[in-house]
Amino acid sequence: MANIVLNSVSRTFQREGKDFLALDNVSFTCHEHEFVAVVGPSGCGKTTCMRMAAGLEFPDSGSVTVGGKVVNAPGPDRAVVFQQFALFPWKTVHDNILFGLRSMGVAKAEAAERIATNLKLMNLEGYESAYPHQLSGGMQQRVAIARAYVLNPDVLLMDEPFGALDAQTRTVMQEELLRVGRANPRTVMFITHAVDEAVYLADRVVVMTRRPGAIKEIIDIKPIRDAENWQQYERIEDVMDLASFVHLRTRIWRLLREQHNPGDH
Amino acid sequence: MKARRDPVRPIIGLATMLALVGFWLVGSKVGLIDPQSFPSPDQFWAAAKQLTIGDGYADGRIHSHVLQSLKLICLGFFTATAVGVPLGLWMGWSRKAEALINPIFLLIRPIPALAWIPLAIVWLGLGDAAKVMILWFAAFVPSVINSFTGVRNIERPIIEASAMLGARGWNLIKDVIVPGALPSIFTGLRLSLQGCLTALVAAELLGALLGMGKVLYQAGLDIYPAMILAGMVPVALVGFALTALIDWVERRSMPWRANH
Ligand SMILES: Nc1ncnc2c1ncn2[C@@H]1O[C@H](COP(=O)(O)OP(=O)(O)OP(=O)(O)O)[C@@H](O)[C@H]1O
Ligand SMILES: [Mg+2]
Repeated sequence: MANIVLNSVSRTFQREGKDFLALDNVSFTCHEHEFVAVVGPSGCGKTTCMRMAAGLEFPDSGSVTVGGKVVNAPGPDRAVVFQQFALFPWKTVHDNILFGLRSMGVAKAEAAERIATNLKLMNLEGYESAYPHQLSGGMQQRVAIARAYVLNPDVLLMDEPFGALDAQTRTVMQEELLRVGRANPRTVMFITHAVDEAVYLADRVVVMTRRPGAIKEIIDIKPIRDAENWQQYERIEDVMDLASFVHLRTRIWRLLREQHNPGDH
Repeated sequence: MKARRDPVRPIIGLATMLALVGFWLVGSKVGLIDPQSFPSPDQFWAAAKQLTIGDGYADGRIHSHVLQSLKLICLGFFTATAVGVPLGLWMGWSRKAEALINPIFLLIRPIPALAWIPLAIVWLGLGDAAKVMILWFAAFVPSVINSFTGVRNIERPIIEASAMLGARGWNLIKDVIVPGALPSIFTGLRLSLQGCLTALVAAELLGALLGMGKVLYQAGLDIYPAMILAGMVPVALVGFALTALIDWVERRSMPWRANH
């Protein structure tokens, strides 16, 4: 079982000597093989939630479990795509992607094959021996994604993984993520600012509020997607035209808009 | 770095040097520079000749002095950095190691290398061993400090990514800590070398048989300004060459920064 459970999680940070509550009693679950998108205004604590599932941050109260076990350390059983890529500047594209495979003890031949597959998937062929600083932001992001995908993890934690990509590449990546997910289902926590993306990809969308960061509402997408059979469409733009899609998107937009009061930054 | 390929800067540098040499040549001729306090070009050439192809000075010719000094520098530099760099990395990585070692290090750190001279003599006599000990302390401190800060300055996301990817033990050291700290390690090595050169000249005042510092010391005793000047040239050249060597190794060992 590879589910992610945040149970009544609260977290306080210190800033300028004062305590402030970043997460207030946050609970949600990514069930086994479920794709959960988390949306919310900037600074509402999305990354903090993901970091807790990763074992890079810990709750003051409440609990975070992955596969039923309390998360107490980072580890390669959960693959992370970081918001800031976090590539190793001193390693080539190839060696960045290889890094996790090696510490997991994947055999050489298999590692080479998996790397080749992911380089192709991420459209990075020919850049194996480039260093990160020689790549554009979008390419660096694709390396970061490949570095996570290549681990074939049961749990995938992605923090705005397509944020730096151009619109076309982003679309290809989204379609690809959905396709790979169908062929090889896994548990995904996917953070994004793009409501379209959340509705298109996710089984459920967690909408968060700011100050303090809390859950506003959790919206089920999967029943509607299945009922309306979105799967029959290959392309994202065809899905985005559907009334059922537009309806969900509008609903989430409203939830996000409601909490936006100008001057509050 | 772009600036390195900038053709104007070396030209300016060369012009400054030529102007200085020109001032020296002309100034000595017209009596603007007193040969008693600063040797004339003729005196300098005579001393340089004596040191290089003549009878030698202070019991040897230039190559034996330089070799002796290089031997001390290498011994001091390599034994100090071989201990200092790993120690600094370890302290940077492990809070426990820091807690354990830092108190000792804080005691050593503010002591100038030359302050070890009396103790070095008492413990090790007047031979090479005492000099190596002084050079060792001169090189040790900067190599520890800079390796330490190098690790501490590795960006946190990089450390976190390596933890998520399961890096542990030797792989963590080899693939993350060392390369992450490398720019700072090299800064430390350069400072260690500088420290060695400074300490060398002072250490050879202890009564050396040979050495670049011995030349300077002897020339000072003999009140022989031209030889002092001639004796400073190899110190500068050796320093320049060793620094260039470190720069070269640095570029070779960090190919990912090649076109920065
Ligand atoms: N280590 C920390 N120390 C202090 N404050 C922190 C720390 N980490 C996060 N915060 C604060 O917690 C809040 C939530 O941060 P988080 O990064 O989770 O937001 P986010 O929802 O991911 O925002 P964005 O969409 O802009 O990425 C922010 O106000 C941030 O300033
Ligand atoms: Mg974030």
